[in-house]
Amino acid sequence: MPQTPRVQLFVTCMVDLFRPRVGIAAVRLLERRGLAVEFPMAQTCCGQFAFNAGHHKEAAAMGRQLVRAFEQATPGDAAAVADVPVIALSGSCAAMVSHELPDLLERDALDRGAARATAQRWRRRAESLARRVVELSVWLERDVARVNSNPAEGSTAPTATQPGPDTVGPVPVAWHTGCHMRRLLQVTEPPIHVLEAAGAAGHELPDADQCCGFGGTFALSEPELSAAMADTKLQALATPRADGAACLVSADLGCLLQLGGRLQRAGDTYPVLHVAELVDLADQGELTPLGIARAAEARGGEG
Amino acid sequence: MPGVLPPPGTPWKARLAHALADTTLQGAISRSTHNLAAQRDAAYAGYARGGELRDAARAAKRASVARLDELLAECTRNVEAHGGYVVRAAGPDEVARYVLDVARRRGARRVVKSKSMATEEVELNARLEAAGLHVRETDLGEYIIQLAHERPSHIIVPAAHKTRGQIREIFDREARSAAAAPPADDSTPALTAFARRQLREAFLAADIGISGGNYLVAETGTLVLITNEGNGRMSTSLPPVHIAVVGVDKVLATWEDLGLVLQQAPLSGTGQRLTTYVSLISGPRREEELDGPEEFHLILLDNARRELLGSEFEDVLTCIRCGACLNVCPVFRTIGGHAYGSIYSGPIGVVLTPLLGGIEHAPELPKSACSLCYACRDACPMTIDLPHHILSLRVMQVRRQIEPASQRFTVALWSHLWASPGGYRRTVRLARLGQRAYLRKGRLGPVPRYLPAPGLLGGWLATRDAPPVARETFHEWWGRHRGRSDGSTGRSTLAPAVPGTDPSALAQAPAGERPAAPAADGATRAPERTERNVP
Ligand code: SF4
Repeated sequence: MPQTPRVQLFVTCMVDLFRPRVGIAAVRLLERRGLAVEFPMAQTCCGQFAFNAGHHKEAAAMGRQLVRAFEQATPGDAAAVADVPVIALSGSCAAMVSHELPDLLERDALDRGAARATAQRWRRRAESLARRVVELSVWLERDVARVNSNPAEGSTAPTATQPGPDTVGPVPVAWHTGCHMRRLLQVTEPPIHVLEAAGAAGHELPDADQCCGFGGTFALSEPELSAAMADTKLQALATPRADGAACLVSADLGCLLQLGGRLQRAGDTYPVLHVAELVDLADQGELTPLGIARAAEARGGEG
Repeated sequence: MPGVLPPPGTPWKARLAHALADTTLQGAISRSTHNLAAQRDAAYAGYARGGELRDAARAAKRASVARLDELLAECTRNVEAHGGYVVRAAGPDEVARYVLDVARRRGARRVVKSKSMATEEVELNARLEAAGLHVRETDLGEYIIQLAHERPSHIIVPAAHKTRGQIREIFDREARSAAAAPPADDSTPALTAFARRQLREAFLAADIGISGGNYLVAETGTLVLITNEGNGRMSTSLPPVHIAVVGVDKVLATWEDLGLVLQQAPLSGTGQRLTTYVSLISGPRREEELDGPEEFHLILLDNARRELLGSEFEDVLTCIRCGACLNVCPVFRTIGGHAYGSIYSGPIGVVLTPLLGGIEHAPELPKSACSLCYACRDACPMTIDLPHHILSLRVMQVRRQIEPASQRFTVALWSHLWASPGGYRRTVRLARLGQRAYLRKGRLGPVPRYLPAPGLLGGWLATRDAPPVARETFHEWWGRHRGRSDGSTGRSTLAPAVPGTDPSALAQAPAGERPAAPAADGATRAPERTERNVP
């Protein structure tokens, strides 16, 4: 057994493809906190987009792949990962795995004509992944000791909890909780300790519980309706913006792509950040207007 | 056998565009839904036992639905024992035929109605008017939309989409055509005073009063109406004939059940502990009584409701039409009720419309009118699992191949490829090629007219910018910086936290080159690089 605690990273397809620097930020911040980060490379997608569109056969195929990927982190030894947390970079994808996957895989196995025992096995395998999966900010928040990076463990980065003499107080940021995080994972508050340790203060938007209009394939098949919902959310964002919020932060990249994409279409460069990026910036002492703008704009090899 | 619902009229995209272009409507809907939802929250916040009583009410309602047929029989016996007539209607035709028979026999010409979704469902007004009857809605909201020749836009606030100014215009028009004095201004008292004056005449002249029903108590055969305006009481007691059109799902076993359920619709719908009026009706006027109709008819409307018994959708029959799910729904708040093209709008409408009207009736509702935010499930006092019902309906649509073949193909292929790491990598390569044409300054921006973006990408880019697929995905970054040549998935070392300084960065391990692992279900799986899922 390794001395350092292990975690497995579930980056999600959207982070992987559209904003990999969120994943990179997560790796760095976890390592700074003394964790050995594993990335099972056979992971693709949790299948939520297909699941929500009613394509359950296809969603189940992706779900099985996800289950396998996280079982195989240590080749040939599924038992070894049984207690290793799976850190998800999306509340929505974490909810898909923890709330839908066991039922889905069992049902799909039966639909494909598998024996009841086989279907049960798929359920159990999905359940063991469901037990392990936890969204990043929830996982950090759950153990206050974790929210600070640990310089003793090899990081040279300054921590935001030891503000320099010129620090004037926490950086206000607007915080958006995604709907699945809020209603399936039942996380209704911003991760106060995580933000505090990062030197930030989260301000929720008015009507915080309203959907931003992303909704997976909904955003693709209903662009006008989805954009109208985004615009309502962006109107609400005007309140924390007027109060000086430096950026919009969320634990769900889907919401951020939706809101950021709508801002950009209007020529608005207001920065949006994933919570992993925010913590990583803070770890490096760069949670400043300039640092935020750079992080939000950085193309990090993209494009 | 599905039931029959009014057709949606214009296509979904046209209804949607209409709603999205109407900022007055959006303002009115947003205000009323916000107010109603806030009133509900406030009511619960000040009601310590609220949650407990709601749970008890839900249990009572579910238990009654589980014994539906038995309770309907009991209710029928008891209504008949009081001298009322009870008839079962399979659908709209049976309802209209029965009402017209009664009207003919009584030589009736004028009908007053209190608010009823069941009669909206069967388009009773149009059918009666076509037969030459004069029908007057007497609920204030229904009266407004009747004059405007519209359908209700909200199940409990039919004119939720109208502003006071618009209502005044409608009343002014009515005043001119009825040669009556118009409302003094657009204040609520002036508007209601106008309606009251006009409606009083209608009540006194009516030959038949038609109502819906919120509940039926089986053990005594009692019809229960809850209203805030008192028009229900007038419609059911002044005219010589009262006909109630009630969905079969409204039956409760006992008065104890009623005691629990009665408060739930006002509590969750408008934040009231109880409605202003609760009318309990047990048949026609008796010998010793002074008020009440000479005849009482109860039409029990099925319209495919009983088909839900024993199905995964049975809990939909416990809906008490409180409207709470509409008030919190972000789609409803954005477009209002009319765009749904069904008299049942909002989340419950998305579910109920195809369940009653058939899976091919307004297929756009389950498919398009929901972002799966789950707000409705939290708001519903009966905890009806609306989001999962919407998912189930989408699955049924996919199985029946209702969506366009191109879309089916896209999702199916996409999912298929992503079920294996190799297929996933292939899509990354394809996307990088495909997106080139749309890249502007490192982003995907507005799509030029001469180069329409395909399918789902086009949908996204129609209203939003997007980052392109990254030059280096996280998978690729990890492979470059943290991958191990021994074929393991790679575990990071603690030392170099900064990308590019990891000495192992050169040892690339492309995903998929790993030995086969024994599957938990016994069989040995092929290594993941086998792209067996790729067509
Ligand atoms: S589904 Fe629930 S919230 Fe919606 S109207 Fe029915 S009872 Fe009320």
